[in-house]
Amino acid sequence: MKAPGSQRVSQDAFVAARRAHWQQLDQLLLQNKALHRLHPDLIATVGRLYRMVCADVMRARGAGYGQDIVAHLDLLAARAHNRLYRATPYRISRLWALVAREFPRTLRESWRFLAAASALFVLPLLVGVVACLTDPDLATAVVPRGQLEMLAEAYAEGFGGGRSESVDASMTGFYVYNNVGISFRVFATGIFFGLGSVFFLVSNGISIGATLGYVISAGAGRSIVTFIMGHGAFELTAIVISGAAGLRMGYALVRTEGLTRLGSLRRQGPAVARLAVGAAIMLGIAAFIEGFWSPSGVADEIKWATAAGLWLLVMAYFVFAGRGEEGAP
Amino acid sequence: MNVAGPSRRGVAYGIDLLIRVLIFVALWFVAALAGVDIDFEAVSTGVQLVVLFTLEWGYYILFESLWNGQTPGKRAMSLRTVKEGGYPLTLFDVVLRNLLRGADWLPAFNVVGLVVMAFDSRFRRLGDLVAGTMVVSESGRSIGAALTIAPPLSAAELEVVPASARLSGAEMDALESFLRRVGTLNPVREHELAQMVAPMFAERLGVRHADPVRFLAALFVRAGGHVVAPPTPPRRGSRTQQATIATHDWRPS
Repeated sequence: MKAPGSQRVSQDAFVAARRAHWQQLDQLLLQNKALHRLHPDLIATVGRLYRMVCADVMRARGAGYGQDIVAHLDLLAARAHNRLYRATPYRISRLWALVAREFPRTLRESWRFLAAASALFVLPLLVGVVACLTDPDLATAVVPRGQLEMLAEAYAEGFGGGRSESVDASMTGFYVYNNVGISFRVFATGIFFGLGSVFFLVSNGISIGATLGYVISAGAGRSIVTFIMGHGAFELTAIVISGAAGLRMGYALVRTEGLTRLGSLRRQGPAVARLAVGAAIMLGIAAFIEGFWSPSGVADEIKWATAAGLWLLVMAYFVFAGRGEEGAP
Repeated sequence: MNVAGPSRRGVAYGIDLLIRVLIFVALWFVAALAGVDIDFEAVSTGVQLVVLFTLEWGYYILFESLWNGQTPGKRAMSLRTVKEGGYPLTLFDVVLRNLLRGADWLPAFNVVGLVVMAFDSRFRRLGDLVAGTMVVSESGRSIGAALTIAPPLSAAELEVVPASARLSGAEMDALESFLRRVGTLNPVREHELAQMVAPMFAERLGVRHADPVRFLAALFVRAGGHVVAPPTPPRRGSRTQQATIATHDWRPS
């Protein structure tokens, strides 16, 4: 082994000898083109050059060459690595496996969290409805009065006679955006030891219940229930599932089973991610239904039948999908 | 890999935010025009919903999964999201870290995320912690630009340091970092910084030094710091009396 100080000449020699390879790799990476679209020979070249650079980084580090060289090679290796080892493209089959098996299985496996999330959401919702049916003014405690009146008015008009575009488009847009956002927030805030999920589940249950109760007592019950039930099969359930995912995440932080908190969280990561992705897909579906179907002028009876069908479908999916097949969840 | 700090990530965030707002405004105009023309409200409502939904929650997920951990903002700032081991992200990682923006954003303007980042050695926000990801910098192409000492070291200055001077790799790194900053700092501050270590080296080598900055430069050269003759002769003085510290122009331009 040579002392660090005796490398003066060999650094020059090293750079001179390797430089062409580095430049070649840099040029190939600069093309900024998906690697698999390059000529097969070039792909092999990138792989070869990448391994060379990895070795060069180690040599440069070990020999105590200049920082700039080490840093440059480090970066070059990192860039090549990220291009070579990019994640496998998201195959449809992978998504299908999630939807067909993994998501419903994970749901059933986390039934305790689902039960807790359902209770935290549905009970306040029912309380809100009942309370505001008895005294509509109570609703103003949780939802601004102006908003309530606007809603009651809008639903009183119904959907058959064509709604005024400017008001409704923005209003519905706001609520979907809001509800989807709520759902994701219910999940995300589970990181605060589950407390965020609890808070948002309860508070959203109350305000949705209060709004429902207010609008129903204002005489537009049929209209709002008809409106909500269709996409509700996906949206309300997705909020609960998001809550369950958030609670599971928070619980992993509380009950670590001997791991560090971060380690415990990581262990639950895949399951939590499956729930979150599944809920996100359901919210996507809900957004489409809420955007296209719920405000449409289709007769109420057809909407009810559709809503009933959707609820049955979703429930059957939760209970039966992915059963009886072997393999990891 | 260099972990990226909050400031560059903040700029990337700003760029992405701007792009999202612009997309929304543009599409809103299109949707509004279409709605007025077609007078078919369900369509324009639906379009608006999908756009909002996509921009708010889908933008990051879409780009980070399609562009291997980059968004337009991150690409502009040469940042990339990777797994902690440097591996590329999977779809689940992308979704997890981006849904948790909801928690990082709280109570307003990413305060929680910033606080968490401040306490983490790798500047990970909550989403990164849960998904096991981090944001790394891929820039730094300016590293390796010529390291020059102005005016060039004279032979006399070099003679002060014995040719047998040997420094550890860490010491050489520290000297190189310092010499690269010479000229960008206030001269007084440069002197001050150099004075902190120069006596230590001088004592070890058993020599006396005058200007600490020049001494450190000479030490770096004598201890095997990367020295080459300048590609073109210096303008002043003869080459036999002067040595210029310069790195090769080995970096691909």
